[in-house]
Amino acid sequence: MSQRVSKEELRQRAEAWIEAGKMVAGPVRVKAGTVLYAPLPTADALLLDGWIRPANSIKEFVFPRHEVLYGYSVGAAGITLHETEPEPREQVIVGAHPCDAAALPILDKLFNWDYRDDFYNRRREATTVVTLACAVHDEECFCTSVGLGPAAERGSDVMLFDARDGAYEVRCLTEKGAALWGSDVERAPANKPMEAAGPERRFEPAEVAAFAKEHFEDPFWHEHALACLGCGACAYTCPVCHCFDIVDEGNARCGVRARNWDACQFALFTAHASGHNPRPAQGARQRQRIYHKFLMYPEKFGEILCTGCGNCARICPVGLGVLPVVKEICHAESV
Amino acid sequence: MEVIDVRQHTADVKSVRLRFKDAGRAKEFGFRVGQFGVFSAFGWGESTFNICSSSTWHDHIEFCFRKVGRVTDALWEAGEGDTLGFRGPYGNGYPTNDWRGKDLIFLGGGIAMPPIRCAIWYALENRADYGTITIVYGARTVGDLVYRDELALWAGHPRVRVIECVDPGGQTHDWKGEIGFVPTVFERAQVPAENAVALVIGPPIMIKNTIPVLERLGAKMSNVYTSLENRMKCGIGKCGRCNAGPAYVCKDGPVFTFEVLRQMPMDY
Amino acid sequence: MSALNGFEPKIVAYVCNWCTYLGADLAGTARLEYPANVRIIRLPCTGRIDTNLVVKALEIGADAVLVSGCHPGDCHYSAGNYHARRRWILFRELLEVVGFDTRRLHFTWISAAEGRKFQQVITEITEQTRALGPYRPYESPALPPREDGAARPAGVLEKNFEESRRELREAARRLLEEGRVKVVIGYGARGPVFITKPEETGRLEWNANCLGNLTVYLKRPEVRALGAAAVVVKGCDERALVVLEKESQLRRDELQVIGLACEGLGQAKCEACETHRPSFADITIGNTAAQGATAAARYAELERFLERPREERLAYWTAEFDRCLKCYACRQVCPMCYCERCLADKNRPQAIDTSTHRKGNFAWQLSRAIHLAGRCVGCDECTRACPAGIDLRLLNLSLARAAEIQFDYRAGMDPAREPVVGAYSLQDKEEFIR
Repeated sequence: MSQRVSKEELRQRAEAWIEAGKMVAGPVRVKAGTVLYAPLPTADALLLDGWIRPANSIKEFVFPRHEVLYGYSVGAAGITLHETEPEPREQVIVGAHPCDAAALPILDKLFNWDYRDDFYNRRREATTVVTLACAVHDEECFCTSVGLGPAAERGSDVMLFDARDGAYEVRCLTEKGAALWGSDVERAPANKPMEAAGPERRFEPAEVAAFAKEHFEDPFWHEHALACLGCGACAYTCPVCHCFDIVDEGNARCGVRARNWDACQFALFTAHASGHNPRPAQGARQRQRIYHKFLMYPEKFGEILCTGCGNCARICPVGLGVLPVVKEICHAESV
Repeated sequence: MEVIDVRQHTADVKSVRLRFKDAGRAKEFGFRVGQFGVFSAFGWGESTFNICSSSTWHDHIEFCFRKVGRVTDALWEAGEGDTLGFRGPYGNGYPTNDWRGKDLIFLGGGIAMPPIRCAIWYALENRADYGTITIVYGARTVGDLVYRDELALWAGHPRVRVIECVDPGGQTHDWKGEIGFVPTVFERAQVPAENAVALVIGPPIMIKNTIPVLERLGAKMSNVYTSLENRMKCGIGKCGRCNAGPAYVCKDGPVFTFEVLRQMPMDY
Repeated sequence: MSALNGFEPKIVAYVCNWCTYLGADLAGTARLEYPANVRIIRLPCTGRIDTNLVVKALEIGADAVLVSGCHPGDCHYSAGNYHARRRWILFRELLEVVGFDTRRLHFTWISAAEGRKFQQVITEITEQTRALGPYRPYESPALPPREDGAARPAGVLEKNFEESRRELREAARRLLEEGRVKVVIGYGARGPVFITKPEETGRLEWNANCLGNLTVYLKRPEVRALGAAAVVVKGCDERALVVLEKESQLRRDELQVIGLACEGLGQAKCEACETHRPSFADITIGNTAAQGATAAARYAELERFLERPREERLAYWTAEFDRCLKCYACRQVCPMCYCERCLADKNRPQAIDTSTHRKGNFAWQLSRAIHLAGRCVGCDECTRACPAGIDLRLLNLSLARAAEIQFDYRAGMDPAREPVVGAYSLQDKEEFIR
């Protein structure tokens, strides 16, 4: 049996979660022209329509940009390490996109293979994702090319479908979602209500993987990366990019060891102290991005490291991004 | 861990011996030769180094480093009694069981001796398991050779042949070893390699020129090993920094055979 | 208030080795007591005192910072203090806009003989700071997101791009055919293109999406490797060439510049543009009747911002900088950021924390801004590139305004003018220096 919730009621629920002490995040217009997922100061700040998608992703709520791993202090007894992370607050993401929610099960694989990363797991456990199925898309979206779609359920605990009459149809997909909503778990019905047609499929991921494998040394990568300026905007706005650095910050008496986001596009990312750099040119670094997303991660974890959200292409100041590069690959293959 | 000994090998290379402060931890700890650890100077940062001591020694571990950057500058200042951070062991290590019954050929250049040293000592500690041992170790100059005293010790063991060399022009007037690059000197030695396992670690140019020599001497590439040294950070396959093509050097490596390496793209 | 609470201010003093440090020493030997609140850090010269050292002092908890050196004319290194003075003039303006309390920032000239002056200065600063109370700029609340403020108007003047596009492609084709260049760096359908063959010049575009500043590629090694280049510029981009040449980063005679007249592409910067037609190009295409803008128009947005109270300004920038991801898109798109290794990437010492906590973000944003003082040409690419929508335009405007008001200088407008930072004048105003 399907439930409905009006936009107003949704805001009221969000307000109730905020009052209950949860960290509630959702799309917020932080300033004119910029919509980001951010903690909601009040439920009124929640932006439910009038935009394609936020310029960032929800990964920062389970994998923060800067996360203290532990602290150290130096005293008479030597060096003591301190656990600094309290239990994370319960978090609710309201108004996530399917391409953001689907990132979480994809990232789960990396953060739990062999060694369980409990910094990530603790936050993941504490997070409930309420996803808004997409009613619109733009030309940068390509979720349907990577096995997702405007109503894809992966990673979502509750799914809301825009009934286009000021209300949403609600489906609680998991125990966690049902517990948050105060309802029962309901697998989605055979026909998804109000499912918008997503973007048409633009390419086959397997072909991209094959190209990357067979054309590792190809000058293609260098030609097509000439415009790339080597910033980290694509990696940082990506829902699934997860590379990080570990730094010590502090002085002789005390400090912390923390991890910070890092990106394979930076020139120094793979630079050795000896001066040798396995990826000295931007072309090699662009190649790594595609290789990691479409070949390495699928081979290792059975997942494409891309959800087709289009953030990279929208933010790239020089018009690159996964889809533009993949289009060039398909073009190169067909010639 | 606590620093129990620091040795300076060259103008910019030191090795540090560490032991666990906690006896219980020391008892539980074990590793396979060829694995690495992430060593740190608190407040300065972490860096990955091979654990260059033998896994058969339980009272300490050792690492050897060149002073080149922020973290190694700080490690350089460590003295006896100081505390350094360690986490590990990581990586796959040398498949020493597979090496049993074979002759061992160790070929190293410069600062690449430490990851070979642990394997040499391991083999000597389990002498009966292995055949003849040949060690060819070279550096640009005499001043760049490390662990020279141990090279002399090894030469004294039965069926162990040690050849030291320096690049032409790198010798001192009283140099008694060979003069020439490692691949050339190794070829001169004409060590049979059909029943051998080789461990080759050094700068890319040295490796590139050594492989054909090994092939000429009858070695199979599935029996020739190296330890890759990509820049690593987490050591546990999460931070995404060290992949060489499809392999995480920290987890699928750092030890690879050349048979596997040849199939990997040049991403290291 | 503070005295009752027993608040003891912490003052950090960066002093030069040859004058102020000896002056402090003299105060000591002459038994002139001064408060123990000051921590003195000795550096060779005020000219060496990087502004991020001042920021660092605040990061580690200083309640006030003093920077002191030799009197003008007496610098042990001849002109270090003149350079410093100029830098401080600009830096203070930046801090004013960002909402830092510039009453906490003190500059003095104290000579080796002025032990008494040192005593007086330290005593006064300590008392003033004690009265002001502890300084916690990094604990400022962040201004919450507001729905107000309409998005910038996206109006693009009616114009005909077609003819200019044809001329552009023709010019590029000729340059390549004649072998005068090996590559034409221009706008393509989606982003920059690097045309190396005459038959491919059809890929060059000129339309309302041609937003990038292509001069940034003149320093990229992969592009330089292609050989002699021609670069397509709008008037705003061309200013970057003027600055780059002034800073010896390119040889103008080795570059072909194709200039495009532009009436505006709907960006905020276009409203006050006065370089609608490039002035220094080898080939200039198109014409425009658009007029230049006045100084008032240039800085109107900033003037309005400065009317807000200081705490609100700091709250605004706190909210802005909190969003910084350290992706360095702002740096990578900037033609002026051509250092082969950026200060932010240096870790011996780590001058700017790489973390995205508040201190790390402020350190980066302030450093970037001050390093561009008098050099930023206002192409606004950084603002466009920032994934977090940080108001870099306003930040850059602060220093552009400071350069114009204080030194009558606008980056990239006149190749004959000496740059602001790197040059100095004996007449630079110093009413803020004691």
